[in-house]
Amino acid sequence: MRSEEGFTLIELLIAMVVLTIGILALIAAYSSGYVALNRATRVSSARLIADQQMERFRAVQYSAVKLNTTCGALCTEDATFTGDPAYSSTAQATGCTTTDSTCLPTQTKTGPDGKSYRLDTYITYNCWSGTLSTSPSVTCGTGNPSPVKRVTVVVRSSSLTAPVREASTFTTFPTN
Amino acid sequence: MGPTARARLPRRLRARAAAEGGFTLVELIVTLAILLIVVASLSSVLVSATKTEVDANNRFQAQVQARSGLAQLTRELHCAKSVTVTNTAGTSLLAGSSGSRIAATLPSTCTTSGGVTLFVTWCTSASTLNTSDWALYRVTSTSSAPLCSASGKIKWADYLTTSTPFCLPSTSAACGGVLRPSGSLPMLHITMPVNLKGPGAIESYNVVDDIALRNGTHT
Repeated sequence: MRSEEGFTLIELLIAMVVLTIGILALIAAYSSGYVALNRATRVSSARLIADQQMERFRAVQYSAVKLNTTCGALCTEDATFTGDPAYSSTAQATGCTTTDSTCLPTQTKTGPDGKSYRLDTYITYNCWSGTLSTSPSVTCGTGNPSPVKRVTVVVRSSSLTAPVREASTFTTFPTN
Repeated sequence: MGPTARARLPRRLRARAAAEGGFTLVELIVTLAILLIVVASLSSVLVSATKTEVDANNRFQAQVQARSGLAQLTRELHCAKSVTVTNTAGTSLLAGSSGSRIAATLPSTCTTSGGVTLFVTWCTSASTLNTSDWALYRVTSTSSAPLCSASGKIKWADYLTTSTPFCLPSTSAACGGVLRPSGSLPMLHITMPVNLKGPGAIESYNVVDDIALRNGTHT
């Protein structure tokens, strides 16, 4: 009988490591698919929250499209809010006094996925032409069209790679 | 391997080559047994990963379906002048109460009305995919608002865990805790919880939205 020689322990371990790497690569493919699905759910949830908020402004008249910035702690504009490019300290349309939470600058909303999202709403006056002045009345200057309101809705969450943004312009035309 | 080539091999390798034999049956069986144990433990991980992936995918499909159904409904109602929320039998409900059916009349100029005045019904009916769930259907008629029992209805979403997704808020009767602001357009409040595993199961996807009837009047 010829001399018997089995695999050495090292050989066996190397073979197992190679096999494990192969299988882990397969599992990583699954988990990245799962992560992608979850991310899509977060973005879609944030988008729904933004849509719903924008729709509430679409339902009211032009004069009612404004923020409530004078209700104390609930209406605080923190650094995240004021640090957004849509924020303007001078052109903000304020004066909402309804008890409805829709016109709060920052709200916390629960998305369809059950996760918590931060909803920031910016409403600013804009001029197609001319320069905006807000005192004594909001105007773009003599001979220029009336100002419009620009509503920007930003939904933030740590589980979103970037905030979800939606913007729309509101005018008095045609009937409201 | 010729004798010249053999002579070129170092002594150690030559000794090795001489000692090479086939595997014995015992060696083969032991190796196969070890491989089987390793593969079995890893395959259980793969199987559960596949199951989770399929489950997540199905859930996501149901969510996407609910969102696209909602998008179609939104598009249609944006063009409607008014909408009524009714029960299954077609009886109008009071503001603030949830119903299983809405009826809207679309003017012929709407993109989804096909050039005629169209009576559109959106309603829920028992799901054929999960007996404890409901599906959302759209059915139209050119004569009068049809009931959900009408033929020719088309399914737009499934796996809803409520049969009454529609609610019309007024300035004094809230839907989902929210009143309609005074002087605003008519608004329809929609609650569509989607869950593949039926009501009460975890991982529900709760689609909630408000639709303003842009063609309505401010009251």
